[in-house]
Amino acid sequence: MKINTNSPITRLLTTLMLLVWTVFSVYPLIFSLFDSLKDNQQFYTKSAWALPDIPLLWSNFSYTWDKYNFGSYFLNTILVTGGSMVLALLLTATTAYVLARFAFKGKGLLYYLYLSSLTIPSLMLVVPMFFLFSDLHVYNKLSGIILLYSITAMPMGMFILIGFFKSLPHELEESAVIDGASPYSVFFKIMFPLALPGLITISIINVLNFWNEYQYALILLSDATKYTLPIGLAFMQGEMQYRIEFGPLFAGLLISTIPIIIIYILFQRQINDGIVAGAVK
Amino acid sequence: MTTKRKRSLFIASFILPTLVLYSLFIFYPIIRAIYISFFDWSGSSENMNYIGFGNFREMYSDPIIYKAIANDYFLIFWKVIGIMTIACFFAVALTRFRMRGASFYRVVFFFPNVLSIVVIAVLWRFIYNPSLGLLNDILSLIVQREVEIPWLGDSRYSLWALLPPAIWAGIGFFMILLIAAIKSIPASLYESAEIDGAKQWKQFTKITIPLIWEQVKVSIVLIVITSLNGSFAIVSVMTEGGPDNATQVLGYYLYQMGFKQYHMGYASAIGVFILVLSLITTAILQRLMKRDTVEVS
Amino acid sequence: MKTKKIVFLSLTVLLLLAVGLTGCGGSNKSAESAKPSASASTPATESASSSAEESPSAEAGPTLAGDFEVQYCVGGYGDSWQKSMVKQFKEKYPDVNIIESAGPKINDQMKPRWIQGDPPDLVFIDCAGGLDVLQSIKDGQLMDLTDWLKTAQNVDGELISDLLIAPAEDFGGKNYTIPFVFGSWGTFYDQALFREKNWEVPTDFDSFLAVSEKIKASGMEPYVHTGVHTGYFTGGFLFPAIVSANGDDPAILKDMADLKEGVFKSEPVMKALQQIVTLRDKGFIDKASGALNHTDSQIQFVQHKDAFIPNGLWVENEMKQDTPAGFEFGMIPSITQAPGGKYIANPYTSPIAIASKAKNPEAAKAFIQFIYSKKAAIEWAELTGALFNVKVDLNGSKASALSISASKYYSSPDLVVLPAVTNNEDVKKEWENATLALTYGKVTPEEWADRVEKAAAKARAKNKQ
Repeated sequence: MKINTNSPITRLLTTLMLLVWTVFSVYPLIFSLFDSLKDNQQFYTKSAWALPDIPLLWSNFSYTWDKYNFGSYFLNTILVTGGSMVLALLLTATTAYVLARFAFKGKGLLYYLYLSSLTIPSLMLVVPMFFLFSDLHVYNKLSGIILLYSITAMPMGMFILIGFFKSLPHELEESAVIDGASPYSVFFKIMFPLALPGLITISIINVLNFWNEYQYALILLSDATKYTLPIGLAFMQGEMQYRIEFGPLFAGLLISTIPIIIIYILFQRQINDGIVAGAVK
Repeated sequence: MTTKRKRSLFIASFILPTLVLYSLFIFYPIIRAIYISFFDWSGSSENMNYIGFGNFREMYSDPIIYKAIANDYFLIFWKVIGIMTIACFFAVALTRFRMRGASFYRVVFFFPNVLSIVVIAVLWRFIYNPSLGLLNDILSLIVQREVEIPWLGDSRYSLWALLPPAIWAGIGFFMILLIAAIKSIPASLYESAEIDGAKQWKQFTKITIPLIWEQVKVSIVLIVITSLNGSFAIVSVMTEGGPDNATQVLGYYLYQMGFKQYHMGYASAIGVFILVLSLITTAILQRLMKRDTVEVS
Repeated sequence: MKTKKIVFLSLTVLLLLAVGLTGCGGSNKSAESAKPSASASTPATESASSSAEESPSAEAGPTLAGDFEVQYCVGGYGDSWQKSMVKQFKEKYPDVNIIESAGPKINDQMKPRWIQGDPPDLVFIDCAGGLDVLQSIKDGQLMDLTDWLKTAQNVDGELISDLLIAPAEDFGGKNYTIPFVFGSWGTFYDQALFREKNWEVPTDFDSFLAVSEKIKASGMEPYVHTGVHTGYFTGGFLFPAIVSANGDDPAILKDMADLKEGVFKSEPVMKALQQIVTLRDKGFIDKASGALNHTDSQIQFVQHKDAFIPNGLWVENEMKQDTPAGFEFGMIPSITQAPGGKYIANPYTSPIAIASKAKNPEAAKAFIQFIYSKKAAIEWAELTGALFNVKVDLNGSKASALSISASKYYSSPDLVVLPAVTNNEDVKKEWENATLALTYGKVTPEEWADRVEKAAAKARAKNKQ
C-alpha cells in the first residue's frame, strides 16, 4: 500500500524539472544527429540548432566510414574495452573484498594508496608511461593498453565496491565457513553474486571510460592498425582544423557514441534488478 | 597449515596481483614523474639538467599558480553544490516521489556521462557562441534587445560559464549512485514515517539523508578528487585557460607548461603539487565529514 | 605472519622504486630497447619503396642508400605535396628506402622518439605540438646547417640561399632551420562587399579608422580576431604596428626575440599598444573576439558579421568550402602605418630541419636540395594554394589568386618584409595574454609592458642556467 504525500504542485514542478532535464540530456544526441546530416553551408546560413535540409545527407556516414577506417577502430575498441573490463573486474573485486571484510596490518595504508591515485594527474604520467611500455615490449600492443586501463580503473571501482561488500550480511559468510567452505569459494560462490549490482555498476562505468579513453591510447598506440575509436576521431578532428567538415565529424561522433549508449541502455536494467546489498541490510 | 596461515595466504593472493600491477603501471611512472620534477627538462630531448627544488621555488613565485589554485577550488566548490543538489533532487524524485517513467529518466539522465568530451565541447561552445549561440538568443528574447555577451571570452563570466557543462556532465553518475543508496533504505522506515504524518521534506531530512550519508560522502569525495585533475578536460576544450588565465586551472597549466611551452620538468612539479594538494584536501574532507567509510585497522 | 607479509610488500615496493630510479638514469638503455618496436611501426608509416632490397645493383655511382625517415604532419596543407615529392625523390634515388612518419597527430606521436634520441632524419616543423625550435637548438637536437647552406645547390644547380624568399633564420650567427612555407599575416576583407558598400580599402591607420566608422554606422562590426589564439592579432596587427612605429626598422623584432631588456617598454611598442587602445575605445574590436577560436572567428568573417580579420594567407584555402558565393578575399599587408608610410608584411613561416642525430643526413640533405627547386615550389603552390619559400613566378600556375597577388607584394618597394623570428614561448604566451586583456581594457599599455618585461626577465634568467 502506498500513500502519496506529495502536493500536486510539487508533483507538477518535479515533472517539469524532469522534462527539462530530459531535453538537456537527449538534445545533444539529437543535435548531433541533425548536424551529421547537414553540409557546411547549413551550419553557416542557419542556426546550428535548426533542422537539417532535405535531402538528408546520410552519405556523411558512409563517407566517414569509408574515408576513416572505422571498422578496424571498432574492433580494436571492443577488444580493448572488453579485455580491460574483465581484468579490471577481477583486480578490483578481489582487492575491494579483502579491504572491506578482512582486518590486517597495512590495510589503511593500502586503501589510501589506491585512493590517492585518483588524484594523479594522468598527463604527468604520459611520458613515463611511454618509457615503461617500451621497456615491457608492449608498445603498440593492445595487451599493454588492456593492462594499463584495468589498473587505472581499479581505485575508483574499489572505492565503490568496498561499500557494497561492507553492506553484505556477515551471517552468510560465517555459516559458509562453518560448513567448511574455503575463503575462495565464499568469495566466488557467495560474495561475488551478492555484489553483482555493484560489480555491474563499476563495469558499466569502466566500459564507458575505456571506450572513450584518449590520452594514453594516443601516445601508446602509434600503429594505425591498432587505433581505437577516440584516436580515430581525434584524427578526424585534427584534420577538421584545416578542412571544416562538420557533418562527417558529427557522423563520426555518433558512430562512436551510439554503441556505448546501446550498451548502457541494455545493461542499466541489471542495476535495478537486485540491489541485494541494501535489501538485506 | 593453520587457519591463520590460510587466511593470510588468501588475503595475499587477493591483494598481490593487483598491487604488483598497480606498482608497475602507476607507482613506477609516478616515481619517474617525481624524479623529472627535479630537472630543468624541455620534455622533447635527452638533455636533463638537475636543479633540485628549482621548479618548486619557481612555482612559489609564479602568480598563475595561485590563480589556478583559486579557480580549481572555485570550480570544485560549485561543482559539489551543483551536482549534489541536482543529483539528490532527481534521485529522490525518481525513488520517493513515485513519478511515472522513473526508469526512463534514470537512463536518459545518464546520457551526458556517455558523451565524449569532444561532443560536449562542440555543443557548449555553440550554446555560448556570442552571436550565433542559443544562450544569447534566449536572453535577447527575454530582454527584448540584442544580447551579445562573449561568455567564454570575458573574464567576468568565463569561469562561471565552465560550471554548467561540468555539472551537466556529472549529474547522471552521482544520481545513479544515490538512487542505489535510497533504494537500499528499508521501505518500512518510510511507511511508518508516513503513518506518523511526516511530509516528504521531513522524510528526506530525517530518513533519506542520514541513511544515504555514506554514499553522499563518497560522492563528494569523488567529485573533489576527480575535479582537481579532471578540470583539465573541460578547460582544454572550452577556453584553453583564457582569456588571460581567467580560467586557468592547475591541470591545464600542467599541460600548457609541459606540452605547449616545453617545460616538462616544471609541469611535473605542478603534477606533484596537484598530488599533494589532493591528498591534503581529501584528508581534510574525511575529517569534516566524520562518519568513516572504512575503518582503518 | 602479518609482519612477514608487510615486509614482503614493502620490499616489492622498494624494489620497484629502485627499478624506477635506475630506469630513469639510464635513458639510453631504454632508448635502445624501444627502438625496434618504435621504428618498426611508426604511425602511418608507409614505405615508398617496395623494392629496396630487390635492386641493390646501384648503377649510379656514389648514390644514396639506406633508410631515410621523414616526419611531416598532415595539417592545413594536406599531404599530397609531400607524397608527390617522396615519390619523385624515390624515382631519382631508388636505393633509398623512404619511411614517412606522417599524420595529423604525428608531432605528439613522434615526441617520445625525439626524447629518446631516436629522431627521424628530416622534420617538417608544422602543426600543433611541433618541435619548439629554440628549445631544440638549445638541446642540440637540430643539425647546424650554416656551412652547408652557404654552398648548397638544389637539383637544378641553383644556390638554395639565393632562392629563399624568407632567409634561413639566424640563431646567434648559425642556421639550423630553413623555412619551407611562406605565408604572410595581414588584414583580410571582402573586396566584393567593399565595392558594393562603397567603402574604401584602408591604406594606413587613419583611413582604417575612417572606414571602420562607416562600417560601424552600417550596423556591422568592423574588426574581429581570434581571441583564443591571440597570435593572429599580434601577427597581423601588433607587430607591423611596432615596426611602423620604429621607422620601418624590423630590427626591433629581433630585439624582442632576443629579450633585450627594456624593449617591451620602448617607444615603438608603446605607440603600437596605443593604437590598440584607440581601436578598443572606439569600439571597433568585436567584443565577441575573446571567445572565438580560429574557426569561429573566420566563420564570423565570411558570414559578414565583421568586415576585417587579421589572419594568414592560408585563410582563403582553409575556408574554401565555407565561403558564400560572391565573397572575394582581399588582403592588406598592414593597417597600422601612418599616412604615406610603407606597408609592413609580417611573414609566417614553417621551417624544415635535419636532426643532429639523423642516421642518414646525406639523404636528408639531398631531399632538401630536391624540394627547394622552382618546379617543386610551383607544385606546392598548386597543391596547397599557399606559397613555398622559393622565389618563383606563379603567373599561369593554378595557385590561388590571393597567393599570386600576395607573391607580387614581396617585390614592391613600398613594402617592408619582416624577417622570420622565433620567439620564446613563455614570453610570447605572456604578451598574447596581456594583449587580449588590453583589448578588453583589463590592463593599460603600461601594465602590458610591465608584465611582458617581467616575463622576459624570467626567461633571460632561465636561458643563463
